[in-house]
Amino acid sequence: MAEPQPSPESTQTKPLLELEGVWKSFGGLVVIDNLDLAVNENEIVSVIGPNGAGKTTLFNLITGIYPPDSGAIRLDGESLVGLPPHKIARRGAARTFQTLRLFLNMTVIENVMASQYGQTKVGIARAMLRTPGMRREEREIRARAEEKLAFFGERLMGYRWDQPAYSLSYANRRRLEIARAMATEPRILLLDEPAAGMNPSETHEITELIGKLRDDGGYTILVIEHDMHVVEGISDRVVALDHGVKIAEGTFEAVATNPRVVEAYLGTSAAVTK
Amino acid sequence: MHLLLFNIIDQIRSLGWGGAFELLRNGIVLGSLYSLIALGYTMIYGILKLLNFAHGDVYMVGAFLGFGVLTAFGGALNPGIGLVPLIIIMFAVAMLGSGVLGVGIERFAYRPLRNAPRIAPLIAALGVSFFLENSAQLMTNGFQYNYDAFQLGGKNGNFGPLFDPVFTVAGNPVTVVQVLVVGSAVTLMAALIFLVSRTRLGKAMRATAFDQEAASMMGIDTDRVISSTFFIASVLAGAAGVMYGLYIGTTFYFMGFLAGLKAFTAAVVGGIGSIVGAMVAGVLVGLIESYAIGYVGGQWSDIVVFGILILFMIVRPTGLFGAQAIQKV
Amino acid sequence: MSEAPGTPGVTPPPGDPTESRIGVDSWVAQAEGRRARRRGPARLLARGWEWSPDPVKLLLFVGLASTLPFWLNEGDLFNFGLFTLLYVALALGLNVVVGFAGLLDLGYVAFFGIGAYTYALLSSSHYGIHWPAEATIPISMAVAALAGLILGSASRRLLGDYLAIVTLFFLQAFAAFTNTANPTVHGVGLTGGPNGIANLDPLTFFGYKLNSTKQQYFFLVIVVAVVAAALHFINQSRTGRAFRALREDPLAAEVMSIPVNRLKLLAFVLGAAIAGLCGTIFAASFTAVTAGSFGVPLLILLYAIIILGGLGSIAGVILGGFVINISSQFLAPQNDHPDVKRWLFYGTIVLIVALMKPWYRAVLVLAATIAFGYAVHAIVSATTVATWTTGAPVAAGSRSIRDGIQGWVVMPHATATGPHVNFNTCLYIGLVVAAVTVRSLSGWWRLAALVPTLYLTAMVWENILAQNPSVTALILFGAMLIALMTVRPQGLLGTARVEIV
Repeated sequence: MAEPQPSPESTQTKPLLELEGVWKSFGGLVVIDNLDLAVNENEIVSVIGPNGAGKTTLFNLITGIYPPDSGAIRLDGESLVGLPPHKIARRGAARTFQTLRLFLNMTVIENVMASQYGQTKVGIARAMLRTPGMRREEREIRARAEEKLAFFGERLMGYRWDQPAYSLSYANRRRLEIARAMATEPRILLLDEPAAGMNPSETHEITELIGKLRDDGGYTILVIEHDMHVVEGISDRVVALDHGVKIAEGTFEAVATNPRVVEAYLGTSAAVTK
Repeated sequence: MHLLLFNIIDQIRSLGWGGAFELLRNGIVLGSLYSLIALGYTMIYGILKLLNFAHGDVYMVGAFLGFGVLTAFGGALNPGIGLVPLIIIMFAVAMLGSGVLGVGIERFAYRPLRNAPRIAPLIAALGVSFFLENSAQLMTNGFQYNYDAFQLGGKNGNFGPLFDPVFTVAGNPVTVVQVLVVGSAVTLMAALIFLVSRTRLGKAMRATAFDQEAASMMGIDTDRVISSTFFIASVLAGAAGVMYGLYIGTTFYFMGFLAGLKAFTAAVVGGIGSIVGAMVAGVLVGLIESYAIGYVGGQWSDIVVFGILILFMIVRPTGLFGAQAIQKV
Repeated sequence: MSEAPGTPGVTPPPGDPTESRIGVDSWVAQAEGRRARRRGPARLLARGWEWSPDPVKLLLFVGLASTLPFWLNEGDLFNFGLFTLLYVALALGLNVVVGFAGLLDLGYVAFFGIGAYTYALLSSSHYGIHWPAEATIPISMAVAALAGLILGSASRRLLGDYLAIVTLFFLQAFAAFTNTANPTVHGVGLTGGPNGIANLDPLTFFGYKLNSTKQQYFFLVIVVAVVAAALHFINQSRTGRAFRALREDPLAAEVMSIPVNRLKLLAFVLGAAIAGLCGTIFAASFTAVTAGSFGVPLLILLYAIIILGGLGSIAGVILGGFVINISSQFLAPQNDHPDVKRWLFYGTIVLIVALMKPWYRAVLVLAATIAFGYAVHAIVSATTVATWTTGAPVAAGSRSIRDGIQGWVVMPHATATGPHVNFNTCLYIGLVVAAVTVRSLSGWWRLAALVPTLYLTAMVWENILAQNPSVTALILFGAMLIALMTVRPQGLLGTARVEIV
């Protein structure tokens, strides 16, 4: 499904998301080591690497949960470094969490409505008076939330809107996380292991969904994934990390057969015998 | 504000070095009580992540238990047994009783809430504190009771040996009871450090504090470990209660609230979960309070203490000895 | 997925085994089952409440509240009506901070005090300033809100317990400031120390004085209705959703474009402003402020209200306010309805026992308790010194009730003070131990242990609690907080929350 896209070198456009020389260490342990990364508009880039390679830290740096020790992070040419997470979300970078951090006691549709806070304006004064403008905005918020949920077919529709999020199945929670991230109207979606814990047919579905997000939704996607079938199915480009260092970048085939990547995953001896 | 500052400087001048030492001595004695209570807070917080508001009231109950023993043996003026065995029995009963109370509180108020939202055990703790305080008010009719420690051990209402000076520094005597308080506090703390660092139970406590789920999977009976923690914490508070009674003399149903509050801050200032930190910071809070009383004036002392503590918590919420926590996402 | 969603029993289409329909629909089925289980009037009430639109609920409250002045005398209206509404309004403000935003604010009462003192300074002869209420109310609210902003921004980085402790310090520092510090300004102690400030002006709007309790009461009805409506609208707006999101998971909320720190501040300021408003009304109706009014007991009372009603639920807070204040007023020492006190106590106990299922167990327990009581009474009066059963119950209205209690509850004679003080202490501790034992038993053992426990409760009530009503109220609030947290943490009208699934 994922058609090979022109490689980044050949496109003349400026990348949408750009990391330059980013460093991050926790108490002396370097987690991200001089990382350069560029994601172009409308591209799907996968980040792979063994556990502890710094993949989730990369997402935390982009979304502002931690600041980088040094280096530049730019979204559409504007620096994100030092901004609080909610402002970064307003600039257009939204993410999902590997460990699923839904607002469990809110309903499904409220989860998606809540994350539109950044693009809506009505303050408490107008809310207390319930002005026509406030009501119009509420209707728009709800319509947008329904539209985002409709993206997942019947999965999150109808009676499910008013169920609390904790009543959803695991796979549906992952979908709701994506819907919630979409509702911030991002330009780039950061998906942290969207297929983790899913069975093969759900995994297949997620693979198709990510393609659809790019093709129909128009999002640029940076995804962390362990499942190589998913990575193969979706990626225009694959970046491999190990100990915070970029060890390979390119098409899936090129990266998957790169000896350094194999070594990172399987250890030195395996690489030698190969 | 200017006026206040001048007053303080005047006060420092007029009290001189002798006065400064007197305040230092008072601060250290008061601080060792705070340290003992703070240890309980830090242990319970370390293991359950629960601010046990009721801990200060366990200390109050300890003071009353000590008083009860004293009364049962005929009161300070006419005790039926010798001074040393009397004090030992007072400590033993108060420590044991407080320990049982602490275990009971954990078992019936906090254990059902292990998996509840974070705010639930806090509110339950508030309820326990309020319950204990007012029950004590009911039992004691809201009166203050006096240990009459001055007469303790003396014959026929004469002064006893507790307030005899042991040695004198800069014209200020250090009395038997002050040595007793600081000495037994240090002994208890040393015993605690030994228990936590060298015994099986201590190891289990550290494991449970680090990760309760993992500890229980490794075969540690976490419920028992938590109960033991509450027992030890409450034993220390009960001992502090008796020390307070012997040193200051009065017990009052409300005495646990403020002491608990200050001791908890000591635990926070020391870095929550850190035993050494709680000890050091407990003494620190005692010193701040003592100097605030001496130099700024009694009516301002609580405001000064709480002001400093609020500032400290805002500037460095991880405390003196606490590690900067990295938020896991 | 071609079939209509929500139809249980339909097998999922082949090739779609991913959808765990069973798991999801069991939730729907459970919710429906819970609803269907209620029968008769309870179900009708619950349904009616669920279906009635929000304005109807508000009108219902205003309508019911407005009838109070017509069947209560001035004194009762002050204690039962005015104070209930004052606590409701205060609890509504606290509910914004604790219920909506999930911040444990233990300094809330200080804002109430700040509002009250601001009014006292601006509308009394303390400094000879007599400003009208249309000026003092906004000023008090602004001052309280400013204090909220300062405390909130100072502690905005603190979480959970740290926030709780810093705010509690703030309350303690406020109490120390008003009570003991009392700095001298213009030759007069600013806060009046422990005596406070007396002889305040009544609320005066554009020359119209709210002198009588009735006028103040109706003003409060309007205030509560307006505050409740405003908070309800906020709760339904994007701000309300953001509050809930931040209560659920602050980090995820922040990443989802919600400015968490600003919203926390907003919650603090909003709550403080409401508390300031309540402070002015309290000061004006009470015509005095004293430092002792703004302490931990009031804080516990307010927490009891919002916890009983259900955190986050506005209707729950109003209901909780009525239940808590009316019961605490009945328990108050100056209460002039002594019979009611006793009915309230025994009624509540019978009601709690009657909730037991199946019903015959409840009957069994009650009957056994009554029999047990007579047996104990007979044994004690036959074997021991006569003074152990000759004590008289605290004066209650009806003679027959007193006689009945005297014949059933063991009551030592009140004049014999010495040993009986210890008797009371032992009795009380015995009751606590018995209650704890009942909780740790199960099945028939629990029922068996319940009988002596209930009798002990009656003994403690008649011998100790009824004699010290003000302390009793506080003890009961403490016990209620513990019991509610362990049994039904969502309160009466709140929804159960799930933390980890």
